[in-house]
Amino acid sequence: MNHDIDVKATRINCFRQSKVAGEFMLQLRVPGSIIDAKHLTSVQHIAETWGDGTFHIGMRHTLNIPGIKYENIPAVNEYINNYIKEVEVVECDVEMETCGKGYPTIGARNIMACIGNSHCIKANVNTHELAKKIEKEVFPSHYHIKTTVAGCPNDCAKAHFNDFGVIGIAKMEYDRDRCIGCGACVEACSHHATRVLSLVNGKIEKDTCCCVGCGECVLACPTSAWTRNEKKFYRIMIGGRTGKQYPRMGKMFANWVTEDVVLAIFRNWPKFSAWALDYKPVYLHGGHLIDRAGYIKFKELILEGVELNPEAQIAERIYWQEDEKRANINVKPIAKHNSAGPGSQDGRH
Amino acid sequence: MGYKLSFETVNSLFNELRKEYKIYAPKRFPKAGRYSDTDIIRYAEIKNVEEIVFDEKSDYPAKEVVSPITQTLFYFTEDEYREAKVHDKKVLIFARPCDINAQMNQDKIFLENGFEDTFYKRMRDKVNYVMMECTSSEDTCFCCSMGTNKTDNYGLAARFEEGQVLFNVKDDKFAPFFEGKEEAEYTVKFIEENETKVTIPVIPNKDVLNKLKEHDMWKEFNKRCVSCGSCTIACSTCTCFTTTDISYNENGSVGERRRTAASCQVAGFDEMAGGHDFRKTTADRYRYKTLHKIHDYNERFGQGHMCVGCGRCTERCPEFISFTATIEKVNKAVKEICGGECNA
Repeated sequence: MNHDIDVKATRINCFRQSKVAGEFMLQLRVPGSIIDAKHLTSVQHIAETWGDGTFHIGMRHTLNIPGIKYENIPAVNEYINNYIKEVEVVECDVEMETCGKGYPTIGARNIMACIGNSHCIKANVNTHELAKKIEKEVFPSHYHIKTTVAGCPNDCAKAHFNDFGVIGIAKMEYDRDRCIGCGACVEACSHHATRVLSLVNGKIEKDTCCCVGCGECVLACPTSAWTRNEKKFYRIMIGGRTGKQYPRMGKMFANWVTEDVVLAIFRNWPKFSAWALDYKPVYLHGGHLIDRAGYIKFKELILEGVELNPEAQIAERIYWQEDEKRANINVKPIAKHNSAGPGSQDGRH
Repeated sequence: MGYKLSFETVNSLFNELRKEYKIYAPKRFPKAGRYSDTDIIRYAEIKNVEEIVFDEKSDYPAKEVVSPITQTLFYFTEDEYREAKVHDKKVLIFARPCDINAQMNQDKIFLENGFEDTFYKRMRDKVNYVMMECTSSEDTCFCCSMGTNKTDNYGLAARFEEGQVLFNVKDDKFAPFFEGKEEAEYTVKFIEENETKVTIPVIPNKDVLNKLKEHDMWKEFNKRCVSCGSCTIACSTCTCFTTTDISYNENGSVGERRRTAASCQVAGFDEMAGGHDFRKTTADRYRYKTLHKIHDYNERFGQGHMCVGCGRCTERCPEFISFTATIEKVNKAVKEICGGECNA
């Protein structure tokens, strides 16, 4: 086989290299992990016309079609133009050209979401709507970021294992007069959440500091004594990742922030990444950039110009808990250290 | 006499009425529902006609106005006590026929069951009803099966139309408020048929009743019912409450006695001193409530069943237990027990 293929260019175009020389796998973005079912016929068409007849549900909720020959990529790109237009431009209002050449970048990765409160009885927010707004903020950008939106702190969407994980939370209100003191919320909080409720003289006392904002008390309440405040709030987890070196669960960066704050933070993401990488995008996802810059620098840049709502709480410091795959994995010759900011990418490819 | 009032005129009528009355009606509480971004509709004091939800059934019943979920009865200081005060206005409640009939059933429990409950009576005596005509019936309604679709127990009747309300003045004391208002033909109508129909089983004797209590039909509720009590709080006829003395923290000899709605569905409701309780399982509790609504109450008072067919229990059940489906299961069980020898 004599192939002359720029695999980095095809990767940026969202075609991933196969172990079979000359074959690639298309990754169709599905922002918010939801699309009209009609698009499935396109997936089937691509798989049966240019692929190997199968499709894979991507680990970041993309629709993957393997077995596409390199020479067919232009035809596939022409075919998915309409999908990109409908899903990215119409649905997410993304500012991008749709010129039949496929995806302009793989940088900001597919924004995942659980089904959210359009269906789920536990969810506090509409996850797809937020995911689509985030898509508009971060795509297309060559700077890598892995993002997911969870409808509630149960975090089925794995916000704890993404660069940025957004979790929908609710501030609860308690109407003492409607409470019958049945204790269902106390039991629910203890069973599902953080045991912040107790029954005192037939009414509820709450340790507000440690409420995770899940809404289990509202679900359990037979009288609507517990309700969710109308205002939507979010928690942002940062720096979660898997990987071969030092996987780790993310840590809480922001709590009780509004949607406006969430979006303003995402708007700053490409700016922070550009600074950290000295304006040279590389295939490196966001958690590493936070490491290289250090949390304090990250916090300064990511919150630049962000007007925090009065309820907002931001982590003063973050202490990561990594699962180091060998002891002292970060101890190495100083010449091999990575850094961030101006000059940090000099001499690198 | 009938009148046709625009919403604007209704609001000025309300302004006049509110000098003497507090007006209560079903009101929407946006995003206060069990699930996020869902609403609840419950009774609350209103000022404007626009606040009244007239085209949907409220999640919670009108009884809350007369017997609120939490009520302080009296305050005590060492050996002295003082009754909790009540406002000095009269009360006007916008209620549907089922809710008005439900209040009659509550009266039996609170006023005609051996003694008069002072705290209930002092509020009940204030109440006048504006009967909200039902122009359509929801799929959980079964008032016609319970004979509670009609009532003549109201001072005013109201039919809501686009931007206007038709009023019928039945009680003359409201006539002065309508002087000079536009007259209109308005004959009050009631719902004559519900989509959901049930036949209430006739339990002919204690023997059948005892067999019914032991019947296997109840077992499924051990798995399905979660004993949350949502159905009894939503019930327009449930009256149970518990009484608690609260000592204020700073001084134990000062405090209050309050009563709070209670639910026979919640474990511990019937626990006696010494730890004995009568109904140990979820199914026992569900059976107790079911039979109370469609048999026991009528056995005690003999003027019809307690259940008025408002269907709120079915609406509020988080586990999708339908009360009408339960009644049908009781029917089947009674037939099975009687072997065709009773009129169930």
